[in-house]
Amino acid sequence: MAQIPVQTIHRDPQLFYWILIPITVVMILTGVLRHYATVLMATEPKKQELPAIREQRSLLRGINLRTNANVISPASFQARKDYLVNAYERGDFLKDPDKKGQAAANPMTDPAAMEGMMGMMKGNMAMMIPQTLIMGWINAFFSGFVIIRLPFPLTIKFKSMLQAGVGTRDMDPQWMSSISWYVLCIFGLQSVFNYLLGSDNAASQMAQQMGQMGPGAGAQMFGPGVDPDKQFKAEAENLSVLAHEYTLEGVEDRLLETVRV
Amino acid sequence: MSSSLSHPPAHLPPAVALRISQQAPITLRNPPSVISSYSISSLWSAAETPELWTEYENLMLSCLRTGDEQSAHLCLERLTERFGAENEKLMALRGLFQEAIAKDDAELKQVLEEYENILTKDPSNMPVTKRRIALLKTLDKTTEAITALNEFVDSSPTDAEAWAELADLYVGQGMYPQAVFAMEEVLLITPNAWNIHARLGEVLFMAGSTGDSSADKYLGDALRRFCRSIELCDDYLRGYYGLKLTTSKLLSILPQASRQSKSDSGLALPDLKTVERLNETATAKLSEIVRKSVNGEPGWGGYEQAEVIAAKALLDSSAAKTIR
Amino acid sequence: MLTERQLQISPIVQESVMHNTKTLTTLHNLTASLFGVGAGILGLESYPGFLFYLIFSLITSALVYAFRVRPGFIEESQAQGNSGMGRYFRNSMELWTGGLFEGLSGFVLTWTLFYGLVRA
Repeated sequence: MAQIPVQTIHRDPQLFYWILIPITVVMILTGVLRHYATVLMATEPKKQELPAIREQRSLLRGINLRTNANVISPASFQARKDYLVNAYERGDFLKDPDKKGQAAANPMTDPAAMEGMMGMMKGNMAMMIPQTLIMGWINAFFSGFVIIRLPFPLTIKFKSMLQAGVGTRDMDPQWMSSISWYVLCIFGLQSVFNYLLGSDNAASQMAQQMGQMGPGAGAQMFGPGVDPDKQFKAEAENLSVLAHEYTLEGVEDRLLETVRV
Repeated sequence: MSSSLSHPPAHLPPAVALRISQQAPITLRNPPSVISSYSISSLWSAAETPELWTEYENLMLSCLRTGDEQSAHLCLERLTERFGAENEKLMALRGLFQEAIAKDDAELKQVLEEYENILTKDPSNMPVTKRRIALLKTLDKTTEAITALNEFVDSSPTDAEAWAELADLYVGQGMYPQAVFAMEEVLLITPNAWNIHARLGEVLFMAGSTGDSSADKYLGDALRRFCRSIELCDDYLRGYYGLKLTTSKLLSILPQASRQSKSDSGLALPDLKTVERLNETATAKLSEIVRKSVNGEPGWGGYEQAEVIAAKALLDSSAAKTIR
Repeated sequence: MLTERQLQISPIVQESVMHNTKTLTTLHNLTASLFGVGAGILGLESYPGFLFYLIFSLITSALVYAFRVRPGFIEESQAQGNSGMGRYFRNSMELWTGGLFEGLSGFVLTWTLFYGLVRA
């Protein structure tokens, strides 16, 4: 079988000016816009009543004690553990002690819970809407154009992905249609956004998707629909089984070993 | 200048604070673009950053320290213009300003009343609660301040600042066990803070110096705290200073201390030889730090002058004792 | 690997680790895009292009090593005689391979773009 000659396709340079560059510029600008939209739409942290703050921070105190228990002496740890475990089990820190034992309120009816859901919705919307819009825009205007060639060879499997909307059977899969350029932009513009907007920007979708899992854990802790009494009970259990190991034990010998005068 | 402005001014040496506040009129000449009326030029001026407002806040505090009330007032006004008078932090800052310009106790009491008014309306206003406690402390109402702080840490037990302040107040009252408890709470929140370890060591040392029956236990704990703070931060002057003091004291009481003083909880006292070696190490390290920092060797700056002088004095006094 | 007790004694502070990683990532992202521009203008295709990226990001890492890690390494070995790599990295692979994959997508993007523009 003869060597397949390298395919060359003569493209109008106008393709660059009217497709490639517009898509790239629009992608960058959308990223910037998304960043500022997220900043502007961020709701101020809602002001909480004193008992609610107390409830959350008391739980945090227990978690702090659990994670950092080793810095204090066994006696001090024991005293704190006894106090906190008792208080947790009695429900001393609860926002409204009367409600203890009842099931958590339905998050749909609780206005505070709705607020949190709205925040999440907004974040999702800020990501979804521009994506859909740009996809639609590219499909409507630029579908069917082959605009650029990847500088490295790919297997035939990628053809359907890269050449969506181009119905040629034997074109080299290196050639890309406008929609695949868009996809490449989504992944590659991360560094541009990092440079333009600082590293913790809201523009990059990758970060957004990560973020939905990451801080979600933190928000879930005090989020709607979680029964604080149950959290306290669980924390009490964690505390009471914790093995304590004092960091200061033998510190003077360690110090004498490491310090050279 | 900006770099020193972005740190809280309480940590600045007085000379730097003075220099900053002397430059305040120049810094304040141009209002930031955000609050000046809109013009075409604001398109090119630098964007607003959170740092800008931190700088304003710190500039205001520096100005108050050095008595430049006009500039401080200007800072406060600009902050108010940006964030609105209802901002919790600004309420506290305004109170701070009023405290600073108050001439006598009567005026201070007026400010206190104002704080209490704010707090009855909104008990969850943390910054103002803290200001009220600080003002109580200024007015020498220590017991009231302690009570207020206890309430505060009950509702917000993860506030390291409040626990540290509480420990300080307890130390001032000579209530060392309570102070130790409060310091331990700070440590639980910030487990790697070497300065807090050293501070706890200092409190324990003070508790051990009262001549109590359990003095040697306190001293043993203090010794370990200082060791830990040095372990976390090499060449930490305060840690070595405390270590030297504690070991000297322990050396004087260890021989006659009952060897059975090992309590059921906690660790036994370190033996005599370890204490001696620690003492020698601390002395050697202190003299090294003092020598190098006085000579201004590269990499040995950054020690506070007062601390170096104190360390030198301690070394001199102990040297005099040995000669005698 | 450090045991739990050793971690307690000499702790690794999460904030500092995050900050360091972030700085290195920014460096790698930015340089990767620039390498893409270079590779595109040179008109490199397939393997030479990837090789170009690999070599240059290794050079970046080597520069970081030479100017940032090495001085600490010398200081440390004089003081205590243990490995200086442990001062900044949990293992040495983190320095050499850490940035390679993060920068790759940025590299491919600018490479394709400039290759396309030059070979239009």
